[in-house]
Order: sequence, then structure tokens, then C-alpha cells
Amino acid sequence: MPRYPALIAVIILVFGGMLFAFASVQASATPPIAADTASQATPTFDIARLAQPPTVFPPAQADNGAQTYWGMCMACHGDRGQGLTEEWRNSFVPDQRDCWQSGCHGSDYPENSFEIPTAGAPAIAGSGKLARFSNAFELHSHIQKNMPFFPPGSLTSEEAWSLTAYVLRLNDRQLAGFTLKGINGSAIPVHRKVNLPESEIPGSLILVGVLILTAIGLNLQINRNHAGSIALSVRPNFFHHLHPPSIPAEQSRFRYTLGAGGLAVFLSLILLVTGLLEMYYYVPTPGQAAISVETIVTLVPFGNLVRNLHYWSAQFLVIVMTLHLLRVVLTGAYASPRRFNYLLGLGLLVFILLLNFTGYVLRWDEGIRWALVVGANLLKTIPWIGDGVYQFVIGGSEPGPATLTRFYTWHIFGLTLGASILIIWHAFRVRRDGGIAVPPPSERKEKNRITRFELLGREVLTMVIAGVVVLLFSLIVPAPIEGPISDASAITSDSRAPWFFLWVQQLLKLGDPFLWGVFTPVLVVIVLGLLPYVLPNARSEELGRWLPSGNRIAQALVVLIILVILALTVLGAVSG
Amino acid sequence: MNETPYLSRRDFIKFSTHALFGLAGLLGLGGLVRYFSYLPDPGPPTEFDLGDVASYPVGSRSLRLDIPAVIHNREGEIVAYSLICTHLGCTIENDGDEFACPCHGSRFDKNGVVLKGPAQRPLQKLRVNVLEDNTLRLYTDGGRK
Repeated sequence: MPRYPALIAVIILVFGGMLFAFASVQASATPPIAADTASQATPTFDIARLAQPPTVFPPAQADNGAQTYWGMCMACHGDRGQGLTEEWRNSFVPDQRDCWQSGCHGSDYPENSFEIPTAGAPAIAGSGKLARFSNAFELHSHIQKNMPFFPPGSLTSEEAWSLTAYVLRLNDRQLAGFTLKGINGSAIPVHRKVNLPESEIPGSLILVGVLILTAIGLNLQINRNHAGSIALSVRPNFFHHLHPPSIPAEQSRFRYTLGAGGLAVFLSLILLVTGLLEMYYYVPTPGQAAISVETIVTLVPFGNLVRNLHYWSAQFLVIVMTLHLLRVVLTGAYASPRRFNYLLGLGLLVFILLLNFTGYVLRWDEGIRWALVVGANLLKTIPWIGDGVYQFVIGGSEPGPATLTRFYTWHIFGLTLGASILIIWHAFRVRRDGGIAVPPPSERKEKNRITRFELLGREVLTMVIAGVVVLLFSLIVPAPIEGPISDASAITSDSRAPWFFLWVQQLLKLGDPFLWGVFTPVLVVIVLGLLPYVLPNARSEELGRWLPSGNRIAQALVVLIILVILALTVLGAVSG
Repeated sequence: MNETPYLSRRDFIKFSTHALFGLAGLLGLGGLVRYFSYLPDPGPPTEFDLGDVASYPVGSRSLRLDIPAVIHNREGEIVAYSLICTHLGCTIENDGDEFACPCHGSRFDKNGVVLKGPAQRPLQKLRVNVLEDNTLRLYTDGGRK
């Protein structure tokens, strides 16, 4: 008998509980919200899932993203990136579960609140998700443009990058110790794991060390030879044979030649080798060009070094060639019989500038956009033939895929072939014209000669030293690259010309584009070319030293031209 | 010049310099090998979801040309064969109950056995798993079962 009341109580409790449960199921089923039917989990409020993620020190980029995500994104996209599922909604405190009806931060709905899209918030993690983004750059652009919902576009670029890193982490794409940026994001795919290469610095520094030791050894050898015990019995090799058996010592003085011609050849060789290497990974299509460059820099082992070597050698080459031109003018060396070779050299300078410009355009990133448009439109201003030249260079009525293919072909084939022929011809003419300019034998004060063994030794030594300098520079200073071209960033992109054409950009501000942008630069080249034919030349006995009196006018003119170009370049660089 | 049985200073410097030059070259070569070690292409996918088990009834043979593979329900046991010819990799075509390669004329029966050369090996059998939710997943890298 005493058991009955207990039994009745149990029955009442069970039925009551069932009624209550039924009622609450009814209640929670009412909001017509996109529900993941697969995850109709028991409604549970779980404070732990809503807690702020612990701070990590030092924070990785994704850790910063985790904090931002918690504050701004998690309410809709879920603690695991599952999106606004029923299961996620039920982990909230009951009276906050339907804020998508009342508006979030809902007491003052709709003034400062917002409605969650009726379609719900999509899942952002898991297989098959984020299908429309192929790389981190695209994901970042989307986040920055469209997120958060209140209001879109309010994130800084940096916040959007850390969120990108966090979303990648939610998708099991860990990027330990790597910082996503505008200049590497497009190299990081969303849908597959990548291996970040090991640092290239230790290997490169070992190479630099070995090269420095080599330079010391070479220097000792050369000094040894200079002491008089030159091994004439040694069989000359191929490289010795490229030189005369011996040359007057004054032709090989570094303070006379600056080693500029030899350095230019060396830099050209670096460009040839590194350029060939880049061609293995570079993809010359508008959609892939910038991405492939970023891939070379970010993911290919030693790719960053290779690209930096290519870039910096090209920039140094322009400087070295200008110094070479200045040397030849300020020593009067360009006079007959060397005036034809002087023209070949000028032609080479033009070729190298064109190679630098086409190479710059091959990046096909935000940075080149306006320089390409301006450069191409300059061609249109040429009277009569302008439209034809534009069509020939651009391959259409505006820059597009054909432009990139043409620039690529010119860069790796047409211009490279032309420049190679000119280099060989120029070097041949140096020897044909009697070597580097010195007075005739009867006028020479110094009778010493050096053998080709010593000459080659000095050349190799110079190359090794230059190699160390270019290597170290390339390790320290990254070559510029920006994000792929997209319509969104058209306004913010850099509108400056590459540095070697900044002077032309400054001239263009003066007025008529043809007069200042095409005619004037061409006139400069023509004036330089006419020097040996029009102005008085240095006398033969004055050769072999700086600032001979015979060609003072030409010296002044060229120094003036170069100073003006330099001033315009500096002006263009600082006016930004 | 003095004849000396020992390595002279000059020879030592010359030898060391050459050795260092060679070492620099080797280092460069090592870097080059590393440079070329990067694989830009992740390769084709190796897992394919085939959908519900029920859509492959007993006795059915379904072609999936995107894999490419044939999925065959052989009396309740689901087997899959790659449609890549084992001769030189062309995609073979369904020809009645058999398969024919359009490139060099190899023929295979419905169980992948070579009927006619030049192919030597039978078609690759692909692993198919039934997942928890009763859907099928096919693996092209699983090799022969």
C-alpha cells in the first residue's frame, strides 16, 4: 500500500515531463529558420562553447583572427564554422535564441540592430565549403568586402587577413609562423595543404661565405701573379682565349674602367640564368601571372631568392650601364674608331630599359596597372603611326590577355635575343677597336702589360665580389609584388611608373604627352648618339684618363642630361 | 723555380680556390635541385563520392567518365574498374558488354580482363567503401584490392 502514492507521483511526473517536452519542442520549432536537418541535436545551452578563446602569446595570425571571429562572426557562423544551424542556435541562452527574428542586439530593434539573413549564415568550414574561393586572397577580398553583416566593409585589411588565417585554421589549413598578406595570399590555396619551404637564409649565407673565401683565394693568386711569377706555361682555357694574350696595364685599371662593362655582362648572365629558372613556374596569363609570381616567392624553395636576384640584377644593370655610359663620355673614349661601338652600347641601354619595362609588366599585379595603361597610351600619341604601334604592342584595343602574351614573348625571346646579339657584338667591337681606349703606344707613359691569366683572374674576382653583393642584397630586400589585379582595388593601386621611367612620368606633367613622353626621351637618345659625330672629340694622346680637355662640351652636356634625369627621378620618387 | 717535394704556397692557394669554387657550384646546384622540387600541381583528386548505394541496383553498370571508372553491382558486391587503358592511358569506351580502347584497339571484358592486346594488364580495380550514411566513396589511389 505505501508504494501507490509513489507510483502515482512517478506517473504524473513522467506525463508532465512529456507534456512539457512536447510544448518546448513545439516552441523551438516555430522560428522558420534554415535548419540543418541532419543535426537536430538536443537543445543544450553550453556556456563553454560561447566563451572567449584563450589568448595566446605570442599570437599567431590565426589567434588574432580567433578573437575577432569570436566577437563578430561566431554568433552567425558557429563556433566550428558550422554556420547558423539549429544545433548552434540552441547552444545560446534561451532568450537569445531567436534574435534573428527580433534583430540582434535586439532591444532597440531595428534602430541599431540588424536582421540575420533569412537564408541563415552559411557554414564556412568542412569539406565542400568555401568552394568558390580558390586562394586566401580571394577569401580575404570577400571577407573584407561583405563581412561582417553589420555593416559590410567595416573590417580593416589586417583584421580581414587574420580572419582569413582563422577560417583556414577552421578548415584544418594550419600556417604555422606564416603571416598572410596582400603580397602572398593568392599563393596559399584554400582547398589543399601546402608545405611552406624552409628558410632560404642559412643556405644562402653558407654560399656567401664560400664565395668570400673564394674571393680571398683569388686575390692571393692574383697578387702572387703580379709579383712576376706569371705561369706562361699554363695552357690557356676557353675563357683565357676570349681575351688577348696581354693588354696594357692601364686598360685594366679599375679606377679608370670602373669595371662597368664586365659587371654589366655579369649581371646579364645572372638575369639569363634566374630568368630561365623563373620561366619554370611563371604562368603568363592574366588570371595566373601575379599568383604564379607569388607562388615562386612564397612556396618554391629558393624561389624568393631567384626572383629577388632577377629583379635586383635588372635594377643594378640599369645603374651600371648608366655609369658605363658616363665613364665612356667623361674619358672621351667614344671617339672614332669606337664611335660605332658607342652606338651599339646606347642601343643596348635602350634594349635593357625595354626588357626592364616588359619584365615589370609581367608581374601583372595591382602595381603595374597604371604604368601599363600610360605607357601604352603614350604610343597612341605618336603622329600617323601611333594607332598601329599601339595595336602591335598591345595586341588589341585595350590591355588584355594578348598584351601579356606579347610582353612575355618580347621579354623572354625578342628583346633577350636582340640584347644578346648586341652584347656579343659590343664585346667583339671592344677588342676589334683595340681594346679599352688608351693613348697610342708612342704616347704611353706606362709600358707595363698584364697577361690574360691575370686579367681573367681579376675579372673572376670582380664577379665573385659582385655576386656576394647581389646575393646579400637579394636576401635582405624583397622585390616588389602586389595582389592580383581586381576591379575592387582599381582606385587604390599605385599609379607610379617604375623607377627608371619616373623621369618620363615627371616630364609628362609638363604638358603635351607626345612632346614630353615620346619625343623628349627619343631626343635624349639621339643627342647621346650624335656626340661623337657632331661635337669635338678627345685627342688620342688624352685617352686613358678622366676628363680630357678635347670633349669638354660633350662631357658637360651628358652630365647635364644625367643630372636632370636624376633630379626628375628623385622628384618623382618623393612626390609619390 | 725551386723544386720542392711539398705543396708550394701557390699550389695550395690555387687548389683551395678551385675547391671553394667547386663547393660554391655544388651549393648552387643543391639550391637548384630544391628549387625544382616544388610541385605546382596538387594532382587530380583521388576520392570520389558516388552517391547513394541504392542508385546502384544489383546487376547495374554505371559509367563515371569524370573519374573515369565503371561501377558494377555484381550480385550485391559493388566493384569498380578504372577506365584508363593499361597500355598507354587513353580512356576506354563502353562497347556492349566489353570495353574498347580507341587509341590502339585493346579490348577488355566487363571484369577488366584483357581480351585483346596490345594491353597486357587487366583494368585497375578501384577500392569502393560504403560510408556510414549508406553512400559510396571510391578511391583511385587505393590500388588493387
